[in-house]
This record gives sequence, structure tokens and C-alpha cells, in this order.
Amino acid sequence: MSLTDLMTMAKSNKELQKKILDQLWKVNPDECFQCMRCTSGCTSLKLLELKPHEITILVNSGFVEELVSSDIIWACASCLKCRERCPQKASPYDTIMALRNLTVEREAKVPEAYMKAVAQIIETGLTQQAQTVTSREMQPFNREKLGLPEMIYPNDKFKVVFMKVLGG
Amino acid sequence: MKVAVYWGCKIPTAQYAYEMSVRQVFPHFDIELVDLKGASCCGGPVRSINTSAAMYLSARNLALSSQTGLDDLLVPCNECHFMLSEAKYRIDNDEEMCKKVEDLLGEEGFKYSSGVRIWHVVDLLHDVVKVDTVKAKVKKPFKGLKFAVHPGCQIIRPSEIGRVDHAEKPRKLDALVEALEAETLDYSEKLDCCGAALLYSHEDAALSLAGSKLKAVQAYGVDGFVDTCPYCHIMYDARQKEATATVGGKLSLSVFYYTQLLGLALGIEQEKLGLHLNQSFDSEKLSLNDP
Repeated sequence: MSLTDLMTMAKSNKELQKKILDQLWKVNPDECFQCMRCTSGCTSLKLLELKPHEITILVNSGFVEELVSSDIIWACASCLKCRERCPQKASPYDTIMALRNLTVEREAKVPEAYMKAVAQIIETGLTQQAQTVTSREMQPFNREKLGLPEMIYPNDKFKVVFMKVLGG
Repeated sequence: MKVAVYWGCKIPTAQYAYEMSVRQVFPHFDIELVDLKGASCCGGPVRSINTSAAMYLSARNLALSSQTGLDDLLVPCNECHFMLSEAKYRIDNDEEMCKKVEDLLGEEGFKYSSGVRIWHVVDLLHDVVKVDTVKAKVKKPFKGLKFAVHPGCQIIRPSEIGRVDHAEKPRKLDALVEALEAETLDYSEKLDCCGAALLYSHEDAALSLAGSKLKAVQAYGVDGFVDTCPYCHIMYDARQKEATATVGGKLSLSVFYYTQLLGLALGIEQEKLGLHLNQSFDSEKLSLNDP
């Protein structure tokens, strides 16, 4: 059963819809006239069946609950083609990001790698610490061995401010 | 000319060849790079979690840049370049977001400045240094070699916020490769995405996207593939073998950062440009002029 089939049983939720629209800036899904230019060029259409025009109409119809509990919003590759090409400035990319944010706010399921990246930023300021890499000849190299300057990570004050903004 | 440089996360922690080659080539054009101190992530992955937190992260790096007293900031990663440009566009035009970010930056004693000019390797070389100057410095041209270029997604879109090249017909990276006397080609998969952002949620699909593009490019019979983003490079170089497995067939395509090719053409040794770190470089198949 696809997401659109589920809609026939679902009830529109205007409150959640408002939460998405309030997050958007200079983007208006309401202007979408379903030309499907976004979907025709979508990086994730073929492999993951992401259809940005469907996401847009579902938000416009108030079926936000169904979207935030669906895996489909995590199928976007952030290639930004839909945002560039939309003739109505409805940018499905921005809508998808707003839906992801709402998923986090509602403590619904988020791909683990995202939470790991955030935890690492809290820890070091970056999504990962400096690593030892191997050359084609399988020799190990780190920054020092390659003659690169030592890394300067953000200080603890950063951590406090970042956690504050994450907490809303 | 002095330019501040923001390396982001992937370049200074793993994609060392890009950092090494960027550091090597710019002094040849009288551009001195000044590192930001204590820079954080640009907020790329954070955007999916909390947009305000992502805007704050980018704004913090812009504030660090203005602290250097320099007007220009080089951002060699495509994703970081998008996030910083997006944050700047939003903060400069959205009072509510501006106030929010300024309050947060104030807690660390930072001040947001809208005056920072954001550059990528591609437009700094193409628009500021100029193609003719690049051409004039070439000591070891790549005559007879043909490269396919991968412009990537996030430095060319969305054009409303001001991007590095044309959103649908990017040609600057081609022009920079042609300045090294190599040939480039126009191909129908040129704008296809590397898929790196999907590593967070759909790894197989990500590798399959990378594999499909590599397969198509190899079939055109090129000598190599050129990119300018650490994420794209991870997909096409470090993970080329896994990407190959998703599409079948045998792939062997040498992938380079543009700054590595430029460095070689300027006469810089392979080792200084981190060429030994490129997993896909087949030095037996492709002979590059090492001094």
C-alpha cells in the first residue's frame, strides 16, 4: 500500500500543516500546480521512488502526520534540482527539510547516521575527528605525516551554545 | 591577495589530498590562505535535524571569517559552500533569523558580518585568477588527454542565492581543465548527483548513483574524471570499488581533484598533491607528467 493509498483513510491535520508552513521561508507549497518538473528530474525518483510533487500536494492537503512517520522524506539526496527548477518557487527540497525537522521535534524515527553526526559535532565541533588514512600502497598517513598543520577544534563554549539551539 | 579558508569537516579530517593540493596551488597565483581558528561543521547534516541550528553553525564560521579582517573566504567543499551561502542569504534577508543567530553568536563573543564574500576553488580560479593566468603558468600541459568533469550539485544550485556557475550549463570547471591543455567533453550525465547525501539513510542507493555515473563516464573513453568536492570524491574515488559492485561490470576510472591536476601542470610533485592517497588512480594506465 503506497503513501497515497493511505491518504484515502487519513484525516487532514491543519495544526501540523501550519508547523511546516511556519518553518518555510520564501517558499510556498501552496503555489504548486503539479507540473511535476521536480519529479521528472529528481535524483531519487528511479531508485527510491521519491516524488517531490506528491510530497508537496500531501502537505497542501494537510497529510503531514503521514509524511513525518514515513521513510520517504529521508530519500532526498539534496541535489537541489527541484528547488532550482520549480516554476512556482515551491521548492520541495525546503518542504522535505521542514518535514525532517518536524520528525525530530516529534521524536519519531530518524536515520541513525544523522544523530551520530550531531553527537559528534557536540563532542568535537565537526562531524568526525581527524583520521589516519591509507595510501594506495596501504601505507598509513595522518595530518602530521602529510605535513598539514595541527587542527584547532572549537572550544567548550561552542558546545553550550550549539546544545542550546538544538534544544530550541 | 589574502583569502581566509574554511575547510569544513571532511577535508581536514580525511580528504587530505584536497587540502594539500589547495594549499600547494594558490600561492602560485599570489593568493595567501589564512586558516580559520576553531571552525565548526557548516551544518550540512544538521539541516535535516534543526534548520536554525544549521544556520547558526554556518553563521559562526562566517563570523570567524570576518574576525580575520579579510573580505574573502574560500570554501573548497561544495556542501559547505552551499550551507554558508544559504545561511548568508537567509540571515541578510530574514530579520527574525538574523536576530536569532546574532543572539546565539553573542554568547560566544562573536559578531555576524554580512560583508564576507564566499568563494569556491572553481570561481576563485575562473573569475578572480582568470583562465588565461592559469594557462600562462602551466609548465607541464596535459596534451592529448581527455577528462570528464563533475561540477557537483550544491555549488551550481539554487541560483537565487548566487552560485559559482550556471545551474544547468556549468562550463567553468571545463574551462579550467582546458587551460591545462587537456580536452573535456559534454556528456548527458554531467549534472547527475554523486549520491553522497544518501549515505546517511540509503547507502546502497548512494553507491548505485555513483556507480551509474562512473560507468557512463568510463564508456566515453576518457582518461580521467575531475571533481571539486570531498563528498563527490569519496563516492567516486574511495568508494569506487563498492560503487562498481552495484552496477556490474568492471570500472577503473582515475579520479582527481581539480587542484591535483592543476598542481601537476604547474610542476608540483605528485606526493605534495596527495596523489598517493587517490585510491582510484591507475598510474600504469594513465601516465601523468611527474617532474
